[in-house]
Amino acid sequence: MQKLQLTLAIIKPHAVKNPVALSYIRQVIKNKFIVVKTKRVSLDKEAASNFYKEHMGKFFYNRLVTFMASGCIDLHIMGHANAVELWRKLLGPTSVYKGQFQEPYCLRGMFGISDTRNVAHGSDSSTSAEREIKFFFPDFSFYEWHEFSEEYYRKGPIIFNDHLFEHVRKL
Amino acid sequence: MNTLRALALRGNSKLFIQRAYATTKKKISVETDEDLPIFQYPVSKSSDRRVYVWGLAETGALGIHLPRGKRGKKAYKNSFTLAWHPMRSSFAERFDVTQIASGYGFTVAAIKTNEQHKVFGTGINTDSQIGYHSPRIGHPLEILLSPAPIYVPYKSLESKIVGLSAGRAHTVILTDNEGAYTLGNNAYGQCGRKINPNEEYKGSMATHNIKRLGKETITDVCCGQDHTMFITESGKVYACGWGADGQTGLGTYENQGIPAPVKGDITSEKIVKVASTVDCVLALNDKGELFGWGNSEYGQVPMATKQQQVNMSYALVNFTKGLGKIKDIASGGSFCLIVNEHGDAFVWGYGLLGLGPNVQHTAKPTLIPPPLFGRNEFNPECTVEKVSCGVGHLAAITNNGDLYMWGRNRHGCLGLGHSKDQLFPLRVAIGAHVLKAVCSVDHTIALCKPFT
Repeated sequence: MQKLQLTLAIIKPHAVKNPVALSYIRQVIKNKFIVVKTKRVSLDKEAASNFYKEHMGKFFYNRLVTFMASGCIDLHIMGHANAVELWRKLLGPTSVYKGQFQEPYCLRGMFGISDTRNVAHGSDSSTSAEREIKFFFPDFSFYEWHEFSEEYYRKGPIIFNDHLFEHVRKL
Repeated sequence: MNTLRALALRGNSKLFIQRAYATTKKKISVETDEDLPIFQYPVSKSSDRRVYVWGLAETGALGIHLPRGKRGKKAYKNSFTLAWHPMRSSFAERFDVTQIASGYGFTVAAIKTNEQHKVFGTGINTDSQIGYHSPRIGHPLEILLSPAPIYVPYKSLESKIVGLSAGRAHTVILTDNEGAYTLGNNAYGQCGRKINPNEEYKGSMATHNIKRLGKETITDVCCGQDHTMFITESGKVYACGWGADGQTGLGTYENQGIPAPVKGDITSEKIVKVASTVDCVLALNDKGELFGWGNSEYGQVPMATKQQQVNMSYALVNFTKGLGKIKDIASGGSFCLIVNEHGDAFVWGYGLLGLGPNVQHTAKPTLIPPPLFGRNEFNPECTVEKVSCGVGHLAAITNNGDLYMWGRNRHGCLGLGHSKDQLFPLRVAIGAHVLKAVCSVDHTIALCKPFT
């Protein structure tokens, strides 16, 4: 089995507030990935603009920041041999209005409302995943996890803890 | 034991065996026949209102119970209950429904009554957009599967509900002489009150009353996903909520808590209708002229500067030149739909617009061929009267009360009985005269009257 790759999934506020969408998305995550860590946070405007500072200057920057600061978001660190690509494939095209016709049954095609309210965020590469995970989980060491825990999550035995929504070591 | 049974058989055998049979028919003479009461089955009156619902039923937004099919034990986790065809809501049979509105995964309906509970809601309630419902104290419900009354502190029970609108997670209830009541999420100020960043909306009992705006009474309300527009007596438009796309029309891109008058070309006009589903807003004045603002990424509000976010209202008179007086307007996620005084429907923007088999972009208002709405040699009087738009689907109602739908068929919201996208307008099978259709993100409801 290949080494695990980590990615960060952010479930956006409108999907967190829709129990039907949320349970569907969680089901997908649980079945396809190994969930390493889960956290629910509420961003303020400052943190959201810090997180999206690479988009600063684009016309949708203010829209994205105010949207992300409008409610609770779910953060999942997920592992899979091909995590970054798989999660982006499950999400589908970024633009909901265009993507819903090409891939009607991707997560964004099913639950997205507009180009900003597009269900979830996925890291676009392994390096940006590392940066984003560091942003939201300052005490999570990327290096340490790959060095010491990765093998364990890959080979098991692990079970899924529904309460934490994380995979944990089976005792 | 045996003796006991024998005793029972001997003693009471007549009780078991003897029965009374009617041997002769009761004769009814002709004279008495006329005196017999005739049972009259209930007949619908034209003042009755029916509500038909279809689309995603999983959220409870339809307020009807659908049986789960014979599927695997845990199959339900990945398949939703859907109503593929319009289904008659039993709620509307018990109450006189006057107004309906639908938001993201929830539906609200106002009824004719002089009692406290004038508005009922069903569906997603994670932001208390349909009130506080807590059968167990301290555990407010996140989803309601059947309609429940919404508590609103009316000052007088005589007040009538004259307007109703709902957004992604907020509801606006307009009364005739107490102004508007808002409930639900206020993260962008869409409830028309000051934004509190740390407010908890789940299990909230807050209702906000907007009595007057600029010393005038409110006559109509319209909600986008995260913003709200109010029309006052003299035709002024006030807006509050999310302004990141300019959808509040206040000249800024900021969130607005307290409703403020929309700037730009409409300030001197008498506006009679405002339409918005997502982030693009259209407005119609009393002369039948069109105005627009908000999101214009797909050319919904075309500007000379190719601006994608229009934060002030602009007259679209030149844009709609030659179409005549405009009668009804609707704006969807990436397109707009209007109908003129001749009953022709025009569409522009991006998506499945109903003009052909391809997803396309149209910059100019394009006529949808009238024969698609039933106008032909045998039926030349057939015109489109009303239009409405969801995020990806469109609806038009003709003067015969037929409902035509097309566009993206997310979770069966077109009501055509299948899950495929509809490329051109097709009539929906509803056994009543449709008066109003309300499209939401993934379900649709229609207010109808019986054929009488």
